[in-house]
Order: sequence, then structure tokens, then C-alpha cells
Amino acid sequence: MLSASSKQGTSEPVMTRIDHSNLLMRWRMLKDTLARHGVAVGGLGVIVAITLILVYLLWVVLPMFQSASIDKVTDYSVPGSDERTLHLAMEEQALVGLRLTDAGRVIFFNTWDGSIRKIVPLPIPDDAQITSWAAGTPARRILAVGLSNGQVLVFQHDYQIDFGEARVEGGKPVREITPQIKYPLGESLLQLDEQQRSVTRLAVQSGEEATTIVGLAGEQQIQLLNIRREESFLGDDVTLEETRAEIPRTSRGAISHLLLGKEQRNLYVLSGRDELSHYDLFDKETPSLQQHLALFGGDQRVTSLEFLTGDISLLAGSDQGRVAQLFAVPEQRDSSKRELRQIRAFDDLNGAVQDIAPEYSRKGFLAVDGEGQLGIFHTTAHRTLLTESIADTLQQVAISPRARAALLQADDRLYFYHIENEHPEISWSSLWGKVWYESYDEPEYVWQSSSSSNDHEPKLSLVPISFGTLKAAFYAMLFAIPLSIMGAIYTAHFMAPRMRQTVKPSIEIMEALPTVIIGFLAGLWLAPFLERHLPGIFSLLIIMPFGLLLVAYGFHRLPDRIRHALPEGWEAAWLIPIVLLLGYASFSASPWMEATFFGGDVRIWMSEELGISYDQRNSLVIGLAMGFAVIPTIFSIAEDAIFAVPKHLVQGSLAMGATPWQTMMRVVLLTASPGIFSGVMIGLGRAVGETMIVLMATGNTPVMDMNIFEGMRTLSANIAVEMPESEVDSTHYRVLFLAALVLFAFTFLVNTAAEIVRQRLRKRYSSL
Amino acid sequence: MNTKNMTHGINLENLDRSQEASHIEDERLAIRVENLNLHYGPTQALFNISMGIPEHKVTAFIGPSGCGKSTLLRCFNRMNDLVDSCRVSGKITLDGENIYSKKINVAELRRKIGMVFQKPNPFPKSIYENVAYGLRIQGVKDKRRLDESVEKALKGAALWDEVKDRLQENALGLSGGQQQRLVIARAIAIEPEVLLLDEPASALDPISTLKIEELIYELKKQYTIVIVTHNMQQAARVSDYTAFLYLGEVVEFQDTNTLFTNPGEKKTEDYITGRYG
Repeated sequence: MLSASSKQGTSEPVMTRIDHSNLLMRWRMLKDTLARHGVAVGGLGVIVAITLILVYLLWVVLPMFQSASIDKVTDYSVPGSDERTLHLAMEEQALVGLRLTDAGRVIFFNTWDGSIRKIVPLPIPDDAQITSWAAGTPARRILAVGLSNGQVLVFQHDYQIDFGEARVEGGKPVREITPQIKYPLGESLLQLDEQQRSVTRLAVQSGEEATTIVGLAGEQQIQLLNIRREESFLGDDVTLEETRAEIPRTSRGAISHLLLGKEQRNLYVLSGRDELSHYDLFDKETPSLQQHLALFGGDQRVTSLEFLTGDISLLAGSDQGRVAQLFAVPEQRDSSKRELRQIRAFDDLNGAVQDIAPEYSRKGFLAVDGEGQLGIFHTTAHRTLLTESIADTLQQVAISPRARAALLQADDRLYFYHIENEHPEISWSSLWGKVWYESYDEPEYVWQSSSSSNDHEPKLSLVPISFGTLKAAFYAMLFAIPLSIMGAIYTAHFMAPRMRQTVKPSIEIMEALPTVIIGFLAGLWLAPFLERHLPGIFSLLIIMPFGLLLVAYGFHRLPDRIRHALPEGWEAAWLIPIVLLLGYASFSASPWMEATFFGGDVRIWMSEELGISYDQRNSLVIGLAMGFAVIPTIFSIAEDAIFAVPKHLVQGSLAMGATPWQTMMRVVLLTASPGIFSGVMIGLGRAVGETMIVLMATGNTPVMDMNIFEGMRTLSANIAVEMPESEVDSTHYRVLFLAALVLFAFTFLVNTAAEIVRQRLRKRYSSL
Repeated sequence: MNTKNMTHGINLENLDRSQEASHIEDERLAIRVENLNLHYGPTQALFNISMGIPEHKVTAFIGPSGCGKSTLLRCFNRMNDLVDSCRVSGKITLDGENIYSKKINVAELRRKIGMVFQKPNPFPKSIYENVAYGLRIQGVKDKRRLDESVEKALKGAALWDEVKDRLQENALGLSGGQQQRLVIARAIAIEPEVLLLDEPASALDPISTLKIEELIYELKKQYTIVIVTHNMQQAARVSDYTAFLYLGEVVEFQDTNTLFTNPGEKKTEDYITGRYG
């Protein structure tokens, strides 16, 4: 007041000052504007960057959930003649098609225009007609025809691809594909039925070493012919060994389908409306019946029967448009006897299923019905990717080996379609639900992204790795939360200020430790150490708290002179040698305890007495190592929050006659709760996203087990492990991106929830 | 009376009240201070203080900033223990027991001697829980007893009518004056013998101050009250006895009327007439 009035008294200096400050004012305004816009741009930039990451993840992930689509390339009248089509097939590139007719001719044609490439007449005696046909596993391209005289001819369609120099069109060499027919068993016919009855149903499989043919002779007898190639040890001599047998009938119904698995061991015979008999041909001389069942419980008639690729599952199409998948599962829980059971069914077709074409390398298939509908399905994902009406009726379907094209026959026309179906194996249920995979005893969550062969599909359930993420975070938090919060309470509330100045930065510097070092130490030093000193660890858990309480009591009873040797708030320093001593004692007693109580080896004792298995790289290691990484985060934030609790609240409570402990529990922690909570949540976010430690110290086994002595695989480690080996834009690649998206969602949700709760807590408990 | 006192605007009508008070020698004492010395590390803050705090009266400590009046107040409930470097010698007796003796349980002592601070410090809990806090930390769980005590304390602190419909709301939503009365309610809920008020109205507006002062007048019927204030009008208005402290010593301790109208010491007169402070 006084100085202000004196300034007003002298006018001139004030004027100059105003001019000066005007300039200064502008400069200040400019700086303020710049700063404000700079901050706004920075903040928006962060939001944009995060949004772009999210958009990119979605852009990679979303194509997985698209349905299939098909484009008609062309249609033409059936190449060749009006002979009846028995079988349609295509070669690898889907450029050449094959049509097997009932007149014993194999017609190769160009798929894109229907022009004939080559016609191969099969060497069939003039007096015999084709009465049946069979196809082996599509990948081996074996076909067979059965004749009216009881003979069978086995042949193979084959394609020679030649990038010949001869033809170069438009600067590009043109692939020359030459189709041909081969006879792996020779051009001579095999006499399946020695009584020369006509072979009316046929099944065939032919491999390097053996060929098995099963046929129905004279509508009555099922005959088996097995031919083994025996190579002599000394020379190139090859002898063929024939085995014949008769398959015992189980039902009187007319036999409509014979199906032989590619291992030449499982034979399925369909008779009557839907009666299926399963035979084991392990001993070719005495086939044995395994099971007899009604596929659709007698309700529906089976019109089509095929193997799914791998020849483990059966696909049965019915006259009412249903396609059911069956495979062998244990009869009862834990029983070793297996039985066929319907696992899933598709009901999206309306007419009778006419033909089923399984994909060559995935567990999907095409099916056509009598009303002209085409359906594209995937069994494991239990997904109908497409149903589309193609013509008034459809009889035959063939799929190219790469599943990029389909040939469909409707009466005397052929339709050639291009198929766009990149990711049929992904559905909500296959990612997040229990899936009953082939050869599994029950539906399970499995992550197994690559398999040894195409017979087994990749299993892409995200549940085990999401579970692993949460499990790792759970054990880490179990270790970190009590230690860091109690440490924060002591440091903020009871420790001498000088000591706090040393302790707090030391703990915070732990955060700067690269996690790869923590992971490395955890995997290579801590894990073996824990394995050797397991009883020591658990005795430490008991000895440490009780030992410390005992020491504290003893300290309390000591004479004042000794007690006050260290100034107030430095008492914790006494604990350093005691903690070291207790730790040393626990670990030295470990071998003795192991020998005395656990029969020498605690791991064996656990697995025998408690049924708990022990992995060296387990959740205990992760809990300790990742807990160690998370402690500084939680400690630092919680300590700040507790330290920031106004002193007048503490004094108010103490002045009410509350003990320091009561003040701590009822006032300080309550007031600091928003900060402690956000510390815990940020720690949780870090534990969920942490990669290097879990990668190096978990063993990366995607098992679902809460057992602390077993490892896990987390989302983040899974991405790090598998991304380098996944093919760009493959389903596996996109699923890994989905895992990243899930991880993103996890941390985003945790942080958002934390922020909301924190804001609410702060509104409620923060004191001025 | 003495016109130079009017510079501080002391309302003489209020002073009339304390004229009824008899001399301090005739009062029953609640707290007796004998040869109290207090050091903060190397510096001495209180010098050889001996005095008696009369029962069921209001005793005010006045003096310039840093004279040790708050320090002396905090000796009565040993809040100075919270300061690391603080050492106390001498005796303070409450109910015939030296509160600095080793046998004394500090928490129990503080239950008997309640304290209200300069800045309202309600806990971030509901109004009800704030008042019930002292009982809860003593392990009282009976809902009826808590309800009764809370109501009684809030009525005692003249806050009941203002908050009875919103007991479960957060105490931080109250105004400053209400918060301070809530803190007083919290202190009297555990029925202490003595109530220490450390500049209880200095952070409040005049109307809230007036309410607090009225409350103090009501409370002295039941409690022995010691109030620290640097507002001399307030001391004159509310207290029966006044001690003037200067540089860690009690310069003069008289009944309020005498001290303000006819101070026995030159220093006191200089202070109350505004020569320093």
C-alpha cells in the first residue's frame, strides 16, 4: 500500500516503465501462447500416436474376421462328352482340371476356358464296365476304379511343371503344365474279387510301401486286398506281397460308402440310412470291428462321407443339409477305449449334401447340396464362412490344393470359381473358447501355433497366454505390493529424514536397471538357486517375519543407552545385519531341512506327496524377479503419496490419543489411498506388459495352471518369441497382432480403471 | 477505563464478565507447571516456567510471535514429543501425576487433554466418522453408544442443527468455521478434562470467529480450556485468566481483567498497547 502510493506520486518514471513493460508484456504473451500451443500439439501428438498404433493393430487384425468370398471366373459345358462325371480334381496351380468319367476316360482340361488338354483312356478290358471308383488322400492324387469283372485299376494323376525357355509371352516365361496318368502298381489290373463279381463300392489308399484296396463285391462281400512292397536287403529286387481278407458284415443294409484312412488302418463302412461301422485293419488278415453307430440317430440319411484332411475326422453330409464332424474320443473320462462321436455340426445348407471337398492343408471343407448351394466351412473354428447359391442343382465339387479355386458341376455345366478365404480358422470360439481339437480327449484351451505336419492344425487359443500374463502379474504383485507399500509406509512415516534421503533414491534407481539383466539373472542364477534351496526359501518366509518381530521385542527390552546408540528413525539400520543373518541361516539350513523332512529332494517329495510338479523356471522365479522390477514403481509413487499426507492430519489424530499405528492405518493410509492405488495400478500395468523378464525366466510354456512351481507364457513374451518366425500376413502373424491388441487393451483398461478410481478416491480422500 | 486500551478495540462489556473471577490463588488448579525448561536442540525455547491452569476456566496465552506460547501449550499434551530434537525438563502435573514421567501412556494422556489446531483439520471421512474417531480408536463398536456420543458432541460444539441431516457426507465439504467446530466436537466427543485451543479462530472469518468464541464460553462450564491467541481482543473477550509470554518466559499471569486494564509489568503494558508484537 505504502510503496504503491509513492509510485503514483512520480509520474514520469512510471510512463517509461509502462512502455518498457508493454514490450515485455508482448514478449511474455508470445511466450505464453507458444508454450500453450506447444503443449497442446505435444499432447495431441501423443493421442494421435496411440490412436495410430491402435488403428494399425486393428488394420492387421480385422481381415481375420472377414467371411470368405467367391468370384465366378467362368462357366462352360462339361469338357469331353456327356459321360457321367465320377470325380473332379485340380492340380496345384488350379490351371488344369481333371474329370474321371464312367466310360473309363480321364479328361484333362484348362480350368479357365474348359478346353481339353488331354484325354487318357484307362486300360480297361473291353468287356468290363466301371462299376465303382475311389480316391485316396487328395495330396497323393491316387484314384482307383472297380470293374464289373471284379478287377480294380489303381492310377495316379500327375503334373509336370516346366518353366520352359521355349515359350516366353510378354517377357514372362509361361509355365507349361503337362498332365499325365501314372500306374504306381503297374498297368495290369488287380483281381480284387476272385469270384469275378462286380465291384460296386471301392476304397483305396496307396503309399510308398503298401497299397490297400477295399471293395464290395457282388453287393454282399467286403473284400480287402493289401499289397506290400518288400525290398530285398541285397539288391534292387522288389517282391510284392499280397494279403487278402474278408471284412465281416455288421448290418444288412445296402452299403453306400467305403472309406479308408491314409494310414491304411481305419476302415469306415456306411450302410443303410446312417449306420457306420468302424474297423481296425492293423492286422490285415483279421480286420476287427471297433464300433457300430447310427450317425444321425436314424433321423437323417447320409448322402456324402469324406475325411477331413489328416484322415482323423469324418465329415458326414445328410439328406437334410447337415454336415457333421466326427472323431474318436475316449468313451468315458480317463478310459482308454475310444469311440467316434459327433463333435460339431453345420446346418447351413438346405438340400441334401451331394459332395464334400476337404481342403488339402487346413481343417476346412467345401460342400454342395442338391439345391445348388455351395458352403465353405471350417471345422475347428466352427465357422460357416459362406453359403451361396450357384445353380439350380450341384452334384460335384473340387477344391484346388491351395484352396484358392473351386470347380463345381451342375448337370452338364462346370463352374470355375476363385475363392478368397485367407483366415477361416479364426473365430471368437477358437480364440477364446474351449475347442475340441482332433485327437484331444476333451475341449481345451491350447496355444500351439505350429505343428509338425499339415495333419495337425495350429491351435491358436489366446486363453493360455492371457492367463499366463495374468498369472505372472499376479505372482509379481503378490511379492511386490506388500513389500513396496510397507516399505513406503516406513520410509515416509517413521524413518529419519536423513536416512530417507538415502533410501528413497536407492530404491528408485532399481527402476533404471535394464529388465534384460533382471531376466538374465532370474533365468540363469535365481532359478537354479531356488531349485537347490527350495526349503530355504519357504523357511525364510516364516523365519524372516517372526525373527524380525522377536528382534524388535528384544530391542524394546534393551537398556536405553544401547537403544539410543543410533538416533531416532535410524532403528532400521539395526535390521540390516539381522536380515542378512536370518537369510544366511535359512539358506544354510536348507540342505539339512531337505534331508531331514523331505527325504533328500524336495521336488521329488512334492511331486510324490502333494502331486505338484516342479519346473525350474517357474512363477516363483517370476514373482521374485518381476516383483523386483515392479517394487520401485509402486514404492516411489506410494511413498510420495504417504509423505504428502498433511502433517496437521497426523497431529490431529495423535492429539486425539491415537497411537502412531492407529494414525497410520486410519488416517494416513486413507488419505494417501489414491496415490497408493495408482502406484499399484501402474505397477500392475508394468507387470502385464513386461517382456524380457518373463521371456528369459518363465520357460515360455503355454500351460494353464495356477501352480506356483510351473511356468507360463505371457502375451508379450509370446509375441517376442513367435513374431520373427511368422509369415507376414499369415493367420499366425495376424493372431500375434491380435495378442498385441489384447495386451494393449489390458494395459489400457487397467490404466483407465486406475485413473477413474484414483480420481474418485482423490475427490473423496484428498485433504487440503 | 484505560483509554489507551481502546486502540485495540476491546469491548469493555465483555471484560465485565471476568471481573467476577476471583484471584488465581483461590482457584482449583487442573494443571500445575513447575520449573519447566524446554530446548530445541541447542536453543532454549522455554525458561523456567511455573504456573497453574485453573479448572473450568478459560486461560489465554498471549504474546508476540515466537514467544513460546504454542510450545508451552503443546507441552500439556506432549505433542512436542513429535519433534526429534525437543528435550523437556521440569514437571507438569495433571491429576497429581507428572505427565513427563515414564509411567504415563502418551495416548492416554492425549485422550484426557484434547487439542484443536489453528487450521481446521478434519479427516477425509464423513462428519459422523470424524466425531466418532476418538471413540473408535479406543475400540468402541457399539452403534448406539457411538450415535449418542456423536450427537452429544455435535450439540456441544453447536454444530448439530447444521449437519444433522448430512452426517454421512464428507467433512471436507463443510465451511471453514463448521470444520473448526467439527474438530472441536471431535475433541470433546471423548470427554477430555482439558481442551487446548491453538489459535482456533485465526484462519476463520469474523462471523465464524464469533461462533467459536461463543462456543468457548459455553464449553468452559464442563472443560478446563487453554487458548493460545495473538488476537488480544479475543483473549480479552473469552478468557478468565491471561498469561503474557515473552521470549520464552511468563512475564505476567493475571486474571484477564487486571492484565488488560492494570498490567503489573512494563513489558505487558507495552505489548497490549501495541509497542511491539
